[in-house]
Parts: sequence; C-alpha cells; structure tokens
Amino acid sequence: MTDPIRLAILGCGTIARTSHLPAVLVHPDVRLAALVDSDLKRAQSLLPGTPEGCVAVTYYRPLFGQLDAIINTLPNSLHAPVTLEALRAGVHVLCEKPLATTAADARVCAETAEQKNRVLAVGMNRRFVASHPLLRLVLREGLLGPVQDYEWQYGGAFAWKSASGFYFSRALAGGGALIDFGVHMLDSLIDWFGPVSEFDYQDDNLGSGIEANALLDVKHAGPYGEIQGHLRVSRTYTLKNSLLVRGAAATAEIPATDPDVVILHRTIQGQAVSETLRLPDYPATSSFYKQLDNFVESIRGRQKPEADGRRALEVIGLIEDCYRQARRIPEPWFEPLPELAKAGA
Amino acid sequence: MNWKDKTVLVTGATGFIGGRICERLVQAGNTRVRALVHTVQHAARIARLPIELCPGNLLDAASLRSAMGDAKIVIHCGLGSGRGIARGTENLLRQAQAVGVERFIHMSTAAVYGFTPPPGSETEDAPLRLTGDAYCDNKLRAERVVRRFRGGGVPAVILRPSIVYGPCSAWSTRLIPDLQEGRVVLIDGGRGACNTTYVDNLVDAIFLSLENDKSVGQTFFITDGERLTWGDFIQSHVAMLGEKMTLPVVSKEEILAYYRQQPGLIAGSIKATGRALRSKELRQILQQIPATERVLSGMWGWLGSLPEERREKIRGRVGVPRRSPDPTTNGRYMPDEVTLATQTGTVFFQIDKAKRILGYTPRIPFARGIQLVEQWLRFANYL
Repeated sequence: MTDPIRLAILGCGTIARTSHLPAVLVHPDVRLAALVDSDLKRAQSLLPGTPEGCVAVTYYRPLFGQLDAIINTLPNSLHAPVTLEALRAGVHVLCEKPLATTAADARVCAETAEQKNRVLAVGMNRRFVASHPLLRLVLREGLLGPVQDYEWQYGGAFAWKSASGFYFSRALAGGGALIDFGVHMLDSLIDWFGPVSEFDYQDDNLGSGIEANALLDVKHAGPYGEIQGHLRVSRTYTLKNSLLVRGAAATAEIPATDPDVVILHRTIQGQAVSETLRLPDYPATSSFYKQLDNFVESIRGRQKPEADGRRALEVIGLIEDCYRQARRIPEPWFEPLPELAKAGA
Repeated sequence: MNWKDKTVLVTGATGFIGGRICERLVQAGNTRVRALVHTVQHAARIARLPIELCPGNLLDAASLRSAMGDAKIVIHCGLGSGRGIARGTENLLRQAQAVGVERFIHMSTAAVYGFTPPPGSETEDAPLRLTGDAYCDNKLRAERVVRRFRGGGVPAVILRPSIVYGPCSAWSTRLIPDLQEGRVVLIDGGRGACNTTYVDNLVDAIFLSLENDKSVGQTFFITDGERLTWGDFIQSHVAMLGEKMTLPVVSKEEILAYYRQQPGLIAGSIKATGRALRSKELRQILQQIPATERVLSGMWGWLGSLPEERREKIRGRVGVPRRSPDPTTNGRYMPDEVTLATQTGTVFFQIDKAKRILGYTPRIPFARGIQLVEQWLRFANYL
C-alpha cells in the first residue's frame, strides 16, 4: 500500500479555511503535514482537527524536502513564484486560481511542471460542479442543435471576507472582477466551446486596475463552429447569475438557483417545455474535494488534471489581452463634470 | 483654497455619498485621496480608483492616526451607529486638530431637525433640539462636537443635505423592488415635502466649501432647491417601471391608528429586536464586532441545540415577520415610523445661504437627475 501524499497548505486565509482544508482532512490518500501562513496565529487557528504531527509555520521553503505536494492559496501575486519554487523542488502543486497575474509567469509555471514532470493543477473548481460536465454532455450529444450563442452573467455585492484584503490591490491581485471570477467562466467556456478567436472587452477600472464590472464579447472557434458569447461580471450589482446557451433546437440554462443542473428549454408542437437534467450518480462531495481528488489521482498517474498549467495559461493570456485592450464602460448616468462656479461674493 | 493638490481623507468612502466624492476628487485631478475603509469587502466601487484604501474605524484612534497621514483636508461622511456617531466624529476631529488640517467638511443631515422638521426650521439658524429619534439626535450631537472643535481652531464646515439621491442611492434601489412587490403607499396622497439633493449637486457644494474660505465656521442646507413632494419622487420611479400602477393612499391618521393596535413598547421592542436580528445586514454588521460575534454565535448555537418545538415557541415570542399585509389594513402595507415621519414633513429647506456664501447653484435639476438614476438602474439590473 502506498503512503498517503504528504501535503502542506500555503496560505491560511478564507479559501483555505472554508474549502481546501475540509477537503484535505477527509481525503483518505492525503496527510496534512503543515499549515503555512506569514501570520502564525492564523495558521495555528486552523490546527484543531488536523492529524497528529501537522505543524503551523510561517515559512514554506524548509518544508519542501518533506512534502509531496502543496496547495497554494497565497495572494494572487504569490501564486506563480511560490508554485515555481515548489515545482523546481520536485513538489506537485494545486494552485488556486489565477495561476499567475501575467501570461509570462503562467507560461513558466506550465513549462516547469512539464520539464520537472510534476503535476500542476489549477483551482478552477467550477469544473467539478455538476453542471459543468453535464453541459459538456448536452453539447456533445447535440441536444441543442447547432449552437448559436450564449450569455453568462455573474455578479453581486462583493462579500468575500479576505483575511489579507489583497483583493483590492492591483499589485497583489492582478486585477478585479475579471481575473477573480471571470477566470472561472472563461475556463469553462473554453472547455465547452473551444479557443477564443476574437474578443471585445470593457470594464470600469478608473485607474487602479481593479475593475468592479467587466463586459466581454467573445467569439469561439471550436468543435461546434463559430459561437458568439457575452459575459458580464460584477462585484457591485446583482446580476441574473445564469448561463443561457442558445441552439437552433433548444436553449440550455444553468440557473442561479441550482448550479448542479442544466435546464433544457425547447418547443414541442408550439408548446414551450422545460426539462431539468441532472447527473444522479455524481458524488455529493464538494467541488473542492473533487478537485483535490483529481489532483491526487493525477499525482498517482491515474488521471490528468482537469485544469492544468497550459489551460490556465490560455485563460490568463486572454485576460491579459483584455486588460491591455480594455475600453471604459460608458457611464452616461453621470453628467459631464462642470468647471465649478467661482465662489460667491 | 487650492484643494486639488492636497491630500484628502474621505471617511464613509465605501458608502453612496463617500464613494461619489472619491470619484469626483479623482476626476477633478486630485491624486492624493485616502479613503478610510471600515469593511474592506464593501470597497469594490472605490477600489476602481487610484486612491489609497486605509483600513480603519472611527472608534479606533490609532487607525485614524494612520489613515490621516499627511491629509490637509478631511471630508467626513462616515457614520457609525448610536452614540458612536458623535464619538467617532470627535475621534476624527481630534486627529484632524493634531495634524492641523486646513479644512474639515462634516457631512451632517437636515435630519438634525428630526425626520419631520418643525415649521420654522427652513433656515440654518433655526434652533436645534433633541427629538427622541436616535439617528437624528446622534447626528445633532455630532454637529455639536464639530462646533466645539471649530472653537478650538479646526476650520470646519457643516453641510446638511436632505434626501440625497442619484446613481447607487438606496432611496432608488429600495424603492424599485418595494414598488414591484406592492409595498409602497402614498401617505396623505404623497403631499409631504421631499427635499431632494442630487448627489453631484452635493459634491459640488463640498468642492465649493473647499474653494471658498468664507465657508469656514458655517453651516449650510444643501438641496436641489426645488419644491418636490414625496408623491413626485415615488411616481418618478413608478414611471421607470413602465407599468400602469395605482398606489394606495393612506392617511397619517390611519397609520397612527394602526400603530396603536400594535404591541406595546416592551413587547413591540422584543419583537422588533427579533426581526432585526434576523436581518442579514444587521447580523453582518454585528459579526464584525468580536464580542457581539461571539455572543451571537453562542446564541445561534444554543438555539440550534434546542428541540424544534421549543425553537418554534421562541420564534413566536420574538415575532415571526408578517409575510403579507396585515388584514386590518385592507391589503395595504403600513409604512414604518421613520418612513411616516420622513414623508409627512412640510418644511422646504432654504439654500439661500449656500448660494450667497458658496456660490452654490444646484447644477442638476430633479427632472434630469431622475433620468440619470433611471439610466443607472437599468445598467445595474434593477429595471
């Protein structure tokens, strides 16, 4: 019997505490060896419930010789450098999204993983939500007929309780709504519809580099031909929070209310009908557990990472191009600014 | 004063007014804006701007010292709650005094005269008195603190806007779903005075208060200077919905009679506390305070450990929210006390003093302002 994978979590912020740690603690083939955070108290606060021998420390480098793998949940700007260090030290990496804040860094990570023959999985956990593989099945089965276009909106008042607050620093986060959540959407869309061949991007960044709203029109050239799509992401407005994929025969919807289903809308003899599709055998475990399991199985050589360094590079490259070519979302709801009247007499 | 090159600290910067002030400061070319941020996750709007986000709390003097930095101007829109409103203002003024700020703009409110200002309070020199409403009284106390520090050499200006509306304003974002869900009535036919203040008009007044040294030591009402009613304000939102909608009319007397049928002070307070504690927003606020977070989580834990039957009994005692209009009101929603008070005033605040001393002219009339609000509501997915 093989020994469990010795793993450390680097970064003990909210995503580690709420999502990765619970998955690690119940996975039978993983043994948590260390929790690492520059704030020792934060790391120590996660120790209860961890296996005997698990340590809380402030620095990761001395651990590499004793580890098989890490989960990198550090602030975005540290994803690529620490991932690279780990890969070069022969450690497998599951890195939170985005893999890097620049395409150049993502490329180095992807290439290093290949050269070192280490697993690099990227935390696109939405891949493991049931609607993702379900829509892939629907598309492959041709249930929509020729696919025409899609619209995907995701947004609400930002509420993520980041322990470090890095989200609102361009230097630490690399961007705003697009790189934070749009990265998931683009990863899914490229997986479903193929590479993006054209795009038009607008956001409301006013000079800080942290957009709250992003609008992206794209064209895919993939297995279903040329497909147009519209994405909208917001950290300030509650949007429809659903995906609609329109085909000639039917429309598929991933609704806001249930991310585990795909609803098929079509017309039968002039009558609108809807049917809800599910994957009844899909395990009820969290998407983070499934993601970890895919990582572990990839280390064992039995699977490949759902989202690897190359896929992350494709997405980061697109996001980088979007930021480079960004136009401002018009705000016609504010009047042009006046030259203020000179103060009174 | 040339304010565009000076460091400006904005408190309440994650709010509707503070956020717009930050945007306007940046658009005016000021590259040295610091924003006091109490709750980081609320900063998405101002994080778009090239400004410095300074984590802090009006009740934490050390954080204020750090946020103040080399600020020469303070625009104080931060609120706090209860007695913390005046205490936070005092803490901020103390820091402002210590560093010798050149201008302190205090965002007060016309509600220092109460939600129903008495006749005679049309001008800034009308006498002030406590009204018994916690918000109004604490904003009044905050004004008194500002006056005290003004005597101590802080060059402060007090601005008293009234119903500040515009893109991102909760007046509109609450009114639209309330209209869609039938929760709006016209009190006394909607005749009450609605002293609208378009947000950019208010920001103009702030900038004029910075430019004009004669503003120091003064208090100004800031409104759009129009004589609109609450009926006008509400109906302008009805028009956005594009549906024919006849709003129920309820008289103040009917509402007061309805209140009299409600549980007495103690029972009513217990029920209201229960309702408030179930509100997600309040819980989120309370959870930011370590002590209350601990008490609340202990309380929810205790509740969760009880058998369902007992939990149900407790829920009943603290008042399960009404899911539909009370049958005694003929299907009409009865507004709460603050809405009743706000929408039954008769006073139109005068802005002559701001015009005379600041050179203030409301640039955006209501007819235009509400068009801009509609454009924004459509973009923001409310319509």
